[in-house]
Amino acid sequence: MIQIKGLVKNYGMNHVLRGVDLHVRPGEFVTLVGSNGAGKTTLLRIVATLQQATAGQVTIGGWLLPQHASRVREHIGLVSHQALLYGDLTAAENLTFFARLYRLENQQERVATALKTVGLLARQRDAVSTFSRGMVQRLTIARATLHEPDVLLLDEPYTGLDQDAARLLDDLLRRESANGRTILMITHDLTHGLNLCDRVAILNRGKIVAEVDSAHTNPAEFLELYTEHTRRREKRRKRPVSGSGSSE
Amino acid sequence: MSEKENNSSFIIPNSAFWSSVWAIVWKDLQIEKHTRQIVSVMIMFSLVTVIMFNFALEANLAAAREVATGLLWATILLAGTLGLNRSLAIERENQTMEAILMAPINRSAIYLGKVISTTVFVLILEAILVFIFIIFFNKPYWRPQVILVLFLGTIGYIAAGVLVTSMTIQTRTREVLLPVLLLPLSLPLVLPAATIVSSYMFPQLPELAEIQTPLSLVLVYDLLMLAVGFLTYHYVVES
Repeated sequence: MIQIKGLVKNYGMNHVLRGVDLHVRPGEFVTLVGSNGAGKTTLLRIVATLQQATAGQVTIGGWLLPQHASRVREHIGLVSHQALLYGDLTAAENLTFFARLYRLENQQERVATALKTVGLLARQRDAVSTFSRGMVQRLTIARATLHEPDVLLLDEPYTGLDQDAARLLDDLLRRESANGRTILMITHDLTHGLNLCDRVAILNRGKIVAEVDSAHTNPAEFLELYTEHTRRREKRRKRPVSGSGSSE
Repeated sequence: MSEKENNSSFIIPNSAFWSSVWAIVWKDLQIEKHTRQIVSVMIMFSLVTVIMFNFALEANLAAAREVATGLLWATILLAGTLGLNRSLAIERENQTMEAILMAPINRSAIYLGKVISTTVFVLILEAILVFIFIIFFNKPYWRPQVILVLFLGTIGYIAAGVLVTSMTIQTRTREVLLPVLLLPLSLPLVLPAATIVSSYMFPQLPELAEIQTPLSLVLVYDLLMLAVGFLTYHYVVES
């Protein structure tokens, strides 16, 4: 479903992505973990058609980006740590607006169903600015899945959530995954990263350095693997530059 | 994936395009209905400007009436920058523009939607301003020709304004940068528009031939700005 080959993204002399290769199969839930500055958000923004790569290839459902970005947009939904919702509009108005943008049929019905799914039907007439962080995040999921996208992209969805809200989000994501949606989530929360998904990839300094099947990896092993990869890279980064210019 | 209709690369507006435009307009009007923060701010600013000006020229009523048309346009332009800034700032807060950009819609539809909604807000302001100016300066701003020129001038100003505001909204100095860029850009529109309005302030109405040149300039400006915005908004919001 998502095929990333040799993806490179530079901001001037800052090399954020240095040749990322990743394949997410249809219906698969893949989590991308990495420390701050690893390039996770940049990678997700490129897949979400919000940025363009410097080099490399990204295809979603066989459509090449950015050439077929408009076709891809019909099939992806994005949940970010930013709500991407209007605080001054009610929950129902927010969803109605996005239903109109996506030219969905039976808009009122779909909005009501989406609000019911995330448990916000009773608050549909309340302004989003009055919602708690957890409620906003649930509404964000309703917004991102309103047009029933094949691919759901999640950018640090657990940021700012308390335990109860995080558990609710877990349930929603499990439901979306069970419905056959392809999910790519980026997070630095290793516990959630491993628990929910089928596969975890570790991104460090703009490269995928390891991939593990979550069903066959326990949290302790994964933490060890993550620490090993990120520490090794950190050591390389901290090594003083020698006068001869040799690195490894 | 199914192959649905793809309209985001079309230049010729179709029904899907107008549906997207209406979605943007509807959303902006709903937000304004709840908050009333764009129109009310513009009205307050305009009232303060007109009252201060009225006090300043209280001793010389003839001079005040002489420059009233210029003051009307200056008030609309300055209040308009407040409305434009707020209208686009809504999309910057919570990064909602990203959610809009992720929808499979033509970027020109976003531009046109913003132009229409902001024009509606400024037209509401103008309706109130015209009423105030008739009372304060006792001049015939109610004439249909004057209303038409105000309408045409507003379209051109907002067409340019939405484009410039979309460029400056991401900068730290946006409040300063917008008037600095937009007001000089509006001169080719405001000068002929003010000329036409002034010519209708006398009991003797001008012949069409007398206002043909300034009216043509206003129309050309409107069409040019709408065309530039329509064709370039894609680059403005995606770069």
